[in-house]
Amino acid sequence: MTSFLLSLTGGLLAALAAPWLTRRFPKRSGWLLALAPLGILVSLMNLLPALRNGESPSVSLAWAESLGLSATFQLDGLGALLAALVAGIGALVLIYGGAYLSGHPNLTRFYVVVLLFMTAMLGLAVSANALLLFIFWELTSITSFLLIGFEHERPAARAAAWQALLVTGGGGLALLAGFILLGNLTGSYEIPQWIAQKEVIAASPQSTAAFLLILAGAMTKSAQFPFHFWLPNAMEAPTPVSAYLHSATMVKAGVFLLARLLPALGGLPAWQGLIPWIGLATLLTGALLSLGQADLKKLLAYTTVASLGALVMLLGINTPLSVKAAMVFLPAHALYKGALFLVAGGVDHAVHTRDIRDLGGLGRAMPLTAAAAGLAALSMAGIPPFFGFIAKEVVYESALGAPALAAWVTALTILANIILAAAAGWVALAPFWEKARKDLHPHEGGAGLWLPPLILAALGLVSGLLPELAAKNWIAPAVSSVLGKPYEVKLSLWHGLNLPLLFSLITLLAAVLLYTLRVAARSADADAWQHLARFGPAAMYARGLKGLLSFAALQTRLLQSGYLRVYVLFITLFTVGMALPPALLSMRALPPAVWTGVRFYDVILVLIIVTAAFFVVRATSRLATIALLGAIGFSIAILFLLYSAPDLAMTQFAVETLTVILFVLVIYRLPKFSRLSSRPARLRDILIAGLGGLMMTLLMLVVSYHGQDSRLASFFMENSLPKAYGRNVVNVILVDFRGFDTLGEITVLAIAAVGVFALVRGAAKRKGERHE
Amino acid sequence: MNSDLLTILLPTLALTGWALLLLLVDLWIPREHKGITAVLAAAGLAAALGLTLSQGRLPAMTDSTVMVISDGYALFLDVLFLASGLAGVALAHEYLKRANIANGEYYALLLFSVAGMMLMAHAYNLILIFLALELLSIPLYILSGINRPRLESEESALKYFLLGAFSSGFVLYGTALIYGATARTDLPGIFAALQSAPVNPVIFILGAVLLLVGLAYKVSAVPFHMWTPDVYEGAPTPVTGFMAVAVKAAGFAVLGRILMAAFPTVGKDLTPILWALAALTMLVGNLAAITQKSIKRMLAYSSIAHAGYLLMALVPFSNRLVNSDVQASLLFYLVAYALTGLGAWAVVTALEKQNGDGLKLEDYAGLGKSHPWLALAMTVFMLSFTGIPLTLGFWGKFYLFRTAIEGGFTLLAVIGVVTSLISAYYYLRVLMYMYMRAGSPSVERAPWLQVTAVAAALAVVLISFIPNVLLNLAGNSLLLLP
Repeated sequence: MTSFLLSLTGGLLAALAAPWLTRRFPKRSGWLLALAPLGILVSLMNLLPALRNGESPSVSLAWAESLGLSATFQLDGLGALLAALVAGIGALVLIYGGAYLSGHPNLTRFYVVVLLFMTAMLGLAVSANALLLFIFWELTSITSFLLIGFEHERPAARAAAWQALLVTGGGGLALLAGFILLGNLTGSYEIPQWIAQKEVIAASPQSTAAFLLILAGAMTKSAQFPFHFWLPNAMEAPTPVSAYLHSATMVKAGVFLLARLLPALGGLPAWQGLIPWIGLATLLTGALLSLGQADLKKLLAYTTVASLGALVMLLGINTPLSVKAAMVFLPAHALYKGALFLVAGGVDHAVHTRDIRDLGGLGRAMPLTAAAAGLAALSMAGIPPFFGFIAKEVVYESALGAPALAAWVTALTILANIILAAAAGWVALAPFWEKARKDLHPHEGGAGLWLPPLILAALGLVSGLLPELAAKNWIAPAVSSVLGKPYEVKLSLWHGLNLPLLFSLITLLAAVLLYTLRVAARSADADAWQHLARFGPAAMYARGLKGLLSFAALQTRLLQSGYLRVYVLFITLFTVGMALPPALLSMRALPPAVWTGVRFYDVILVLIIVTAAFFVVRATSRLATIALLGAIGFSIAILFLLYSAPDLAMTQFAVETLTVILFVLVIYRLPKFSRLSSRPARLRDILIAGLGGLMMTLLMLVVSYHGQDSRLASFFMENSLPKAYGRNVVNVILVDFRGFDTLGEITVLAIAAVGVFALVRGAAKRKGERHE
Repeated sequence: MNSDLLTILLPTLALTGWALLLLLVDLWIPREHKGITAVLAAAGLAAALGLTLSQGRLPAMTDSTVMVISDGYALFLDVLFLASGLAGVALAHEYLKRANIANGEYYALLLFSVAGMMLMAHAYNLILIFLALELLSIPLYILSGINRPRLESEESALKYFLLGAFSSGFVLYGTALIYGATARTDLPGIFAALQSAPVNPVIFILGAVLLLVGLAYKVSAVPFHMWTPDVYEGAPTPVTGFMAVAVKAAGFAVLGRILMAAFPTVGKDLTPILWALAALTMLVGNLAAITQKSIKRMLAYSSIAHAGYLLMALVPFSNRLVNSDVQASLLFYLVAYALTGLGAWAVVTALEKQNGDGLKLEDYAGLGKSHPWLALAMTVFMLSFTGIPLTLGFWGKFYLFRTAIEGGFTLLAVIGVVTSLISAYYYLRVLMYMYMRAGSPSVERAPWLQVTAVAAALAVVLISFIPNVLLNLAGNSLLLLP
């Protein structure tokens, strides 16, 4: 196991070496780099005997233990199946990409990112820790983003990359939330621990939330309805990328995750209740939408969506048979769809178009590509003796065993498969053997362009002819690890005369009919699809994004006016909002008001204050405002005096006088008094000011009712004379008990005065200089 | 003055003394050699850092008047503040020369502000907390206006000052009410009073709320955040970077200490308020950042959003069971945020032109081709801000979400996840510009900026591979609970 993990770093080393290799061997760089994944594949093969025996070797490295995390890698049958596909197809794609992008200025970037992606994907396959898995998961999203936007000069490629990243990245975050929920539930992030504690998970009320979050992650990654729209758009990527990431491997990550967590979460009622329908919806959506496509790659993309739906549906059905079907269909699909994508790229490379309405007659000039296409298409159409046929048989068999509405599920699966089989013809037969409608000047490319698809397609034939080999080495360990118990897998071409065989026959016949009608080419011209697109989830996504942006703009405009006064207003409003409820609640505890003898001068003073406050805000001249403010200040000072606080009153008198003088001095330097607020704005201000006043009033009432701690007062009263020899307590506090504070204050004032002096002098000097 | 007080405050006092000296010495340093002042300031910060580290083994203690405290929490934050101060010097030197405002006061003011932050981390008494807050803020009011002939800078300083004074009023009023209710201003005293004496709950809660409002302003939590974008945009970029990172950390330092050391028994009343603040801050910060065209403003909103995530860490503050996780996740996130933020601001400073151009997103087009290392560093920062794996930001967010869920605040964690997704939109857009659009950005030749950026990027990535180091450090830096 350790040696296998070490071999994974081969991908990273190759990525490091890629720039040099590309410069040194511009023609052969792809072949050389392919050695890295091949090495990984060989190292994986070495572990096969152990896996066949039901072992799952693991390595655990210390990581962030404080968070309860360790980097645990474990290779089981499921991981090995995915890893083999990733490494094997990776090698072919590197070879193919070297030829396809030969001479491209960014070829190095392609190599580096593809190799990084491959390493992340392999890491995903062998992660036994959920956090580790999440990390690799996000890395595949990012590398996918970089590869979709590979030709970033085109705005369409940028937009598609962006969309794929937002959809899959968002799903990834949901996945993380789900993982954290499960981690808290079980106290561990190790997936085997989750499986061991599946009863704990099932018993928790949070399990459904966790399941839904994880499902959202899997659905976005594996392009399940209604998140399927990003995948066809991702066809902006160079074709080798589409073949590798968006058909054979990365989009399988969601399926892989479901299979990985099936032993832990498969028992939840929502699993069987929800997943099969999502899968079926995706299967139908992909199949039906593929009818409207004229672009080879988009057509293939929609069939990929359909196949991913089938895989998810199978895992959702969650019977041993359906799990087996999923594990058979997964590699079968990867082999033929990868090959067909590479073929589409080869055609594009040769004749510079991918429109099936223009393509035709390429078979003679490109015999090897045509052979690869034919082999792959036969497997996709499910014709014996190809692996695709075996896969389809078991899929039908599983559909018959669906938990609910089995007849409907089977019928719809057959319908989708008819379309997919016909699509295989449109993609792989029509361009080569139908009559050409245009003079295309086709020519066969180099070995790098035809060999990889041919190998993939041939593997589909070999596995079909020797199904036991595939079953024993790959399928059985994978199924066993998903089911959590040894499971024997028997695959054969001939099952006897049974329903699935009948369905296969129906599928084929209907597909031939559909193919000859050339529905795809015709309906691609129809407007109906464009109309349909307006209601699709892609349009919803676009509308949602636009809505989010305009909402964001609106709330920013609302809150961020740039005016200080508005900010102050908001701060006041929210503070009142936070403080008023407790203050109001406390009002009930206050005793009823008791009016002690109110003296007439109290009333007069209060009236003066209220009236002055009213006119302060109404006044139209600065001088009047200042005078009124002064009136308020002096009235308050008199109140202090009346309530036997002469020292406070004296201070207040002094401060008021000073402020009025300062105001008057400043007033001549200010601009003219003007009203800036409109009437509604002023009304709003009154309301908020009133609320602020209300809060302060309540506060005063509460505080004055409950009274203060008078320990300090009595301390000063008692100690003023004996300790400080002073009868004026306030004075004693200032110069004695708190003498250092007073010294500090005086110092601050002195420094401030020096500062003001320096400023004034500096200003005067500058003014003088300007005059001279 | 007792000896404990001296021991606890030694690094802070040394730094303050050094800053005073620097102010004097700078008078003799000619304008074209202000680099000397920068080096001297850095030396002072480094010396204070050394002093702080030498205190690492001291046991947690308070002085006899219960004014200050020294514990793992405070020392951890001290290191963070001093390191941010060093980065603040590195960011500023070339920028000041370029903008023609190479005044030595910059460094002295920066040092005063750092001293204020350290005092914040050590303060154990509401009065001292207020003083520290002012010591931290007043130099920053000046610093944000230091680019004086430019109107934006002056506006920024004035807004910051007026609203800052306003919010200081809240802190003071809150302190007064809390004193009125408990007759104490020292945090352990308040804690004890809440448990025993007949405290008036209303007055106390009102005081606590006002205190929260004042501090929410300092950490720019929504709805008290409005000053942030305006001030951050107008202030000189190195100052903005320093404010976005260090001031926020200082605000959270003191918020965390008050909540956990003094208020754990009133969680019932304060938790809903914190919850709402955290949720609003994450939502509004991230939504507003989407619409920004200027990178400086975008990062300002992003700093608001991150305040929301940090607040989320504090929401379960009164739950004793997750208390250590609350502290550790807060500290860990602060470090992750500081490294990421300082690096990102270094890149922004490097691209800003003398006349204040170069701050639009379009100005980053083509950076990937023309300056691959700088672009790579910026990529790391944007990914880390988003919380994507293999960056420190991922661990930070993961730990936060985990703590929130452990504390029983699943909905809040989900809001955090959703807003992180929204944030991906604007952070990754920077990557789109750098790598997928053509352009010829001009980058100022500023070696220190690039060193800061690359070093921060390396730290963000490398530590993410060995998060244990930092996790253990944060987990062991717990505050002394009464």
